[in-house]
Parts: sequence; structure tokens; C-alpha cells
Amino acid sequence: MERAENISISGWPSARAGDQSRVPARAFAAILIMSALVSAGLASWLPLQLSIVTVFLFAGPHNWLEARYFLMRLPARFGRSRNFYLVAFAGIGLLTLAYISLPALYYTRVWSGANWRNAIAGWNTLMILWIAALVLMRGKQKAQGDWFWALPVAFALCAFNWLYPEMFSLAIVYVHPLVALWFLDRHLRRNRPEWLRTYRRCLILLPFLLAGMLWQLSRTAPLQDDNGLFWRITQHAGADLLPDVSSHLLVSTHVFLEMLHYGVWIVALPLIGATGAIWNIRTIPIANHSRGFPKLIGAFLIFGLLAVLTLWVGFSANYTLTRDVYFAVAMAHVLAEAPFLLRMM
Amino acid sequence: MKRTLILLVTLGALLASAIFAFGDIPRPKPTPAAPKARLYSSLIVTSDAKASEARLIISEGTLKSLQDDMANRGKGSLGQQIMHSSTRTIMAGLFMFLAVSFAGVWFARSGKQRSHKAIAAVFLVALVLGLATVIVRANAGPPGFVRWRNLPEALKAGKETEGGVDIEVVPGDEDLKLIIPLRTK
Repeated sequence: MERAENISISGWPSARAGDQSRVPARAFAAILIMSALVSAGLASWLPLQLSIVTVFLFAGPHNWLEARYFLMRLPARFGRSRNFYLVAFAGIGLLTLAYISLPALYYTRVWSGANWRNAIAGWNTLMILWIAALVLMRGKQKAQGDWFWALPVAFALCAFNWLYPEMFSLAIVYVHPLVALWFLDRHLRRNRPEWLRTYRRCLILLPFLLAGMLWQLSRTAPLQDDNGLFWRITQHAGADLLPDVSSHLLVSTHVFLEMLHYGVWIVALPLIGATGAIWNIRTIPIANHSRGFPKLIGAFLIFGLLAVLTLWVGFSANYTLTRDVYFAVAMAHVLAEAPFLLRMM
Repeated sequence: MKRTLILLVTLGALLASAIFAFGDIPRPKPTPAAPKARLYSSLIVTSDAKASEARLIISEGTLKSLQDDMANRGKGSLGQQIMHSSTRTIMAGLFMFLAVSFAGVWFARSGKQRSHKAIAAVFLVALVLGLATVIVRANAGPPGFVRWRNLPEALKAGKETEGGVDIEVVPGDEDLKLIIPLRTK
């Protein structure tokens, strides 16, 4: 045994090579910082143009990759997590349906839009309580820690939401892109722990970049939103709710965060997290399992690709309408992030 | 699970009982709407011995602010919107009550040491907020009427007097009116 301990592993460099990352942590940090700086610079320089281009190019593909990533994290058998996934999927379905129904009912003149603030606040409340239920359910599965704190936090958020329903919805718009960074953190912790420290140090740069954008753009003239599309983009970023804040700053900040979001889902996670080629469905447990559904999963992914192509065609034909429809339907992927992020904790 | 269900049913019954309590509350008397200050600006009052008419000089910036305010008159401020929505106020109050209650339950459930730390943190935050409030109030400066105290003497001497002014837009077509807060000693 002693001799076994004294055996030098330097004689087998190839045996360790597979365990080490090809990209060193410094190069990883350099890529992250450069990407963040370029994104912030471009978003500050051409916010409206970049918003149009990034949504056109990356909205569909990032949703497809996100869906594929979630499928990879879905267990082949739910086991004792069955109730968790039941609540998760029921919540995603019902909340998305309700979210799409509100504008649909308004445009079909079934609903006049009266008390729309209350309707938004009601939807936000359901979403908060759904997430709180998931947190509590996840907490029960964890041996350590008391996750009961989720309830007072959820109720406090509900209270804020009823006071300022539109502000709460706007907060979701800005917070959602940051969730991708949390996913990357959890994924690095599992798959590339040697990069985690570097990654977290790089995250410190983010508030400084945002502060820099605030400093540079807070006194800039508002963006010219004289056409329907530009107006929609500035409204989406909260120009109507925050009239004293430059719309240039709002749109730039939102575009910057969206670029980080797309970068994580389209570039970072597939590169570091892929256990094989993205077109290989055998890397998905629910498809690879002996009692799995490979055909169903394959069909779902092909349907997803067709949806991405349809989105591109739609953007080319009528960008404004497609963008509106996309951001309504895309609520499903915002909601889906909650249960899968909780599963990684 | 059973305990949670009983708790939820009890809570539901408690909330439902509020309907009966609400039935005993008389309708509030309608109060006449007071004209609301629309814009705060600075006002200089001066005399001119050569002028034949009194003149009111308004800068383009102030006029534009007034026009914007008139355009948004129906909307009201965020605070006003909340005050005028009883449903949202009730719901926010209810959720605040639940948040504080469940936070208390959480403290009670947590370990002693953690509770002490959390309570200390809450006190620290309250202390910081309290101190900040004191500092902000201390910097608020004297009340507005102090600046207008010497207006009669200044007018007689042909000097300028500068102070704050709330510009109000009221319904109707009455003449312009300037109210100076002069206090009798």
C-alpha cells in the first residue's frame, strides 16, 4: 500500500489530461470580461439597433437550447420528486396560458382592459406563490437548512407587487436575464469547479459595468421612439414607467443584460455543459432510458427547430408583431427556469 | 400536511370574516377635492418703478413642465394611484401582514443564535434608516414662509425677494392669483 502511495503519477500524463479543462481559468476569465465589455459598449452605442438584431438572431435559438438543456436535467424517472415536477409543469402551463390570455382577451374585445393593474398584480401574485411552493417543496427534499424563509419573502414580494404591479413586472424584465448567470454558476460548480472562483470574481465586474453605463447614459437624450417598433422597445424597457430616466439608459441596460443572457444559453452552457453533440438525443436521460421516450423527445426537438425557423420567417415578414407575440409566449421559458434552477440547488 | 391544511382553512375563515366586519363600516363622506400643487419652482418678486403693468415672466422650461403636467393630469402620481385603489391597498396590506407573521414564525422556528443575528440585523437596518431619516430631515432647511418675511420692506426698497412657489392649475377661467405666505408677528 505504501508503495502504491509513492507511485508517481507523472508517468501517466495522458491519464490526467482528460480530467483537465482545455481552456485555463485565466483564458476563461478573459473571454468573460471581453464579452461583457463588448456587450456593454455595443448596447450603449446602438441600443435600438442591437435590440432588434439580437432578438431576431438569438431569441429562437436560445429558447431551443434552453429547452434542450432543461430536457437534459429532467430525470428519466421522477421518483420522490414527482409532486415537485407536477406542480412545476402545472404552474408553467397555467401561468403561461393566463399570461397569453390577458392580451388575447383584450385584442379580441372580450375584456375591456378595465382593472388591468389588478389583473397584472393577480398574475404576479400567482407566480410568486407558485415559486414559493416550489422552494418549500425543494426545501423538504434537502436535509440541510430551513427553507421556510421563502414564505415571508414571497408575501413581502406580493405586497410590493400589489403596490406597484407594473414596477414588479418591469423588475422581472430586468432580473430574468440575470438568472442565466445563476444557471452558469450552478453548472460550473458541478462540471467545472476549477473555474467557479474565477467566474464569481468576474461577476463582480457586472455592477461596475452597470454603474458605468448609468454614469455615461443617465443624462443622454431620450431615444427617438417615433415609430411603432422603437416605441415598443422603449416601453418594454420601462420608458413609460420611469419617465425621469433616460430611455437610452433603460434600453441599453436591458439590451446589455439580454446579450449576457443569450451568451450564457447559446455559447457558454453548450460549450462547457454538453456531454455530446447537441443533436444527439442520447445525451438526454429521458430519451436514453430503457423506458424513455426517444421518439417523443426527438419530435419535440425537431418541432422546436421548426418553431425557430418560423420565428425567423415571422421576424422577416412583420418584425413588430412577431416580437410582441414572441415576448408573450416566451413567458413559458422564464417560468421554466424557476423549477430547474431549484433542482440544481 | 394536515396541519398546513387546517392552518390554511383557519386563515381563509379569518379572511372571510372580514366581509362581515366590512359591512359595519359606514360609507366615507365625500370630501371636496383640494387643488393639488402641480409644480414647484422658484419665484422672484421685484418692483419696477418704470413699468406701467404688472408682468409675470415664465421661462420656457417651466412652461413646458406645466404643459407636460397638464397632459398627464388624469394619471396622477404613483402614490395617488395607490391611494385611490382600495383593492390594491387592501391586498398589499394583507400580504404585508402575512409577510410579517410568517417572518415571526420563521424566527421562532430557527435556531436561537440565528434568531439573535437576524434580530440584530433588523435593528441595524432600522437604526440606519432612522439615522438617515434624521439626517435628511435635518437638511430640509427652514419652512418656505421664512424667505418671504422681508418682502414688504424689500418691495419698498426696490430690492428682489426670492423664495419657493407651488404652481397650481385649477379649473375655471379666473384671474391669476399670487399668494404670498406672510406671517403676522
